[in-house]
Amino acid sequence: MQIFKAFFKVLKKSIPSSLIYIIIFLSISLVFAFSGQEDKTVFEQTELIFCIFDQDDSAESRSLVSYIGKQHELVDLEQDEDILLDALYYERVNCILLIKSGYAKQLAAGNTENLFERYTMHAGYADILTEQLLDQYVASVSAYLAEGCLLPEAVQKAETALSVQADVTYADFEADTEYPTVLFFFFQYLPYILISVLFNTLCPVLLTMNRNDIRFRTDCSGIRPASYLLWNSAGSVLFIIGIWLLFMGVGMILYGGLYVGKAWIAALNSFVFTLVSASWAILFSCFSPGENTINLITQVIGLGMSFFCGIFVEQSLLGSGVLAVARFLPAYWYVRINNMLSGNEPFRSENVLVFLLIETAFAVVAGMLALLIGKFRYRRLSAE
Amino acid sequence: MENTVIKIENLVKRYGDLIALDHFSLAIREGEIFGLLGPNGSGKTTTINCMLSLLAFDKGNIEIFGQKMTPVSYDIKKQIGIIMQDVAVFNELTVYENIDYFCGLYITDKAERKRCVMEAVEFTGLGEFLKFYPKKLSGGLLRRLNIACGIAHKPRLIILDEPTIAVDPQSRNKILEGIQKLNRMGATIVYTSHYMEEVEQICTRIAIMDKGKKIAEGTKDELKRMIKNTETITVEVLGLSEAVRNEIIQLPHVYRTEYDGERLTVFCSGGTHNLIRVLDVFRTHEIRVGRVYSELPTLNDVFLEITGKELRDRKGDSHVLS
Repeated sequence: MQIFKAFFKVLKKSIPSSLIYIIIFLSISLVFAFSGQEDKTVFEQTELIFCIFDQDDSAESRSLVSYIGKQHELVDLEQDEDILLDALYYERVNCILLIKSGYAKQLAAGNTENLFERYTMHAGYADILTEQLLDQYVASVSAYLAEGCLLPEAVQKAETALSVQADVTYADFEADTEYPTVLFFFFQYLPYILISVLFNTLCPVLLTMNRNDIRFRTDCSGIRPASYLLWNSAGSVLFIIGIWLLFMGVGMILYGGLYVGKAWIAALNSFVFTLVSASWAILFSCFSPGENTINLITQVIGLGMSFFCGIFVEQSLLGSGVLAVARFLPAYWYVRINNMLSGNEPFRSENVLVFLLIETAFAVVAGMLALLIGKFRYRRLSAE
Repeated sequence: MENTVIKIENLVKRYGDLIALDHFSLAIREGEIFGLLGPNGSGKTTTINCMLSLLAFDKGNIEIFGQKMTPVSYDIKKQIGIIMQDVAVFNELTVYENIDYFCGLYITDKAERKRCVMEAVEFTGLGEFLKFYPKKLSGGLLRRLNIACGIAHKPRLIILDEPTIAVDPQSRNKILEGIQKLNRMGATIVYTSHYMEEVEQICTRIAIMDKGKKIAEGTKDELKRMIKNTETITVEVLGLSEAVRNEIIQLPHVYRTEYDGERLTVFCSGGTHNLIRVLDVFRTHEIRVGRVYSELPTLNDVFLEITGKELRDRKGDSHVLS
């Protein structure tokens, strides 16, 4: 028990260096969760800003302007090229529409070409929407004209028909999903934090507890070496589980309650990755690194794995060469599972199981290597 | 008859081709302050590590408290306190927590442990520093903390492996006084050092080691009697003639002289009034002399005469060995 207590007293001294990672990650997660969510339950039609110059100035062209004005915002601008270009550039207007002279006559004659001149900043959504709006309008009027209506009647009927809005029901796919986006991102970035926290905390503690002089002095007492190892292991396990539970607790806050279905798989995935990070930290501590080396290696492993394996950059954006290398790292398989849970790739339970086993293998190999090296070092210490 | 606490028989320890301990034997009795004296690399620490079964040895037998010592002799280990030459404490724990931790490896009862820790604190004079972290302590205080960690559980046998290295004279005296006090309280002490003055000051019996062998053993007087030299007389004198030197060497009990042009050293074996006889020679020849002093043999002289080399390098720092 004395060793166990000492383990946590030493651990207490290492925690501040990791606290910064935990606080930043939790803050970002919480801010992201509670302030970045939009209300996606109400449909609103996109409203553009139009500046319309009506050169035709006919009843039909005015009717078109009025029709556009009902759905979008109209602004008046001086017909000066610089002013208009500035307005487009600074997005004070989305579209400048010129209704050409002779619009009504051409429309009545069934000619739908060259009725307008349209200017948008670039081929974005505003360009597509305005094109769609005008095409629909002209096509509808043409259809009514073809039916035998006169132009004023055709315009009126077309506008009436087009003003009918379809009932839009927002299909919230997340409402019944067990894995919302906020949780996806939380679990996506978790490996980097786990590596940083476990390396920065566990390594210094194990280094202290396994210092040659401390081990020597402890071995002089009535404590068996196996007992010493056992108490240190118990301390490590408790700390590792504690860290994981802390993050799971935060995850549940973001989730808004106890995990359901797929979220539990994500939790299991993160637990296995916690074991991987811990076993790597334990293995690393066997080489007695200095404080600066610990920081350096933490960053190299944490950032390196995050970039290579698709934590910071989606795997779909990474090259095949990078992904081929990433397969030899545990985070790659972690991210694959997370992608399956979020729907970024097809969910297959047998793949999830295989990937979890691959991650576990990384943990087991590192753990066994750490045990072997530890035993070798202890024997060498006894022989010197 | 006094009980034998430690019995080492024909201990051999090899590091490859190097023989660290060469058929080393020793018997330490209960209540002794036993000094293990020898230069660096003589095998003192190796002996201690073998005694504690921290180090496997090639041949020989070690018994502590009448029982064979093995790596799993935990009942014996519980009765031993060890103070290493390197300060082995947690930098992350306070003075109190450190002593409590090491004491807790032996004593599980919380109340008893607290009492023992406080007694160790009082014994080492660390009361004012209980909440200090080791990095805030001076070298002397660190050594005292190291000792407190080793003695808090009240061991019957205390092994101190060069506990005064890099300690200021004041702290060193306190440590030595403390060791004698521990002995008076009933503990058997094994004290290793290459500082012969310390060993002479506190040890009741001494073994001198060199190259893994015990070259002499006994009380300090017994050891000094083993050598020819009983008195060394040094006279500062300039331009001393060969004739006068020959006259001095003819004096009774003088067996050797050395002269470097400024200082004459006269080695005597037995006898009394040797200094007066030497000074009489100078007076007869009306030779003016500077400082004159007479020294009794030290353990260094014992070591020098037995091994032909000095225990300590006289040319360098007083703590640097040859």
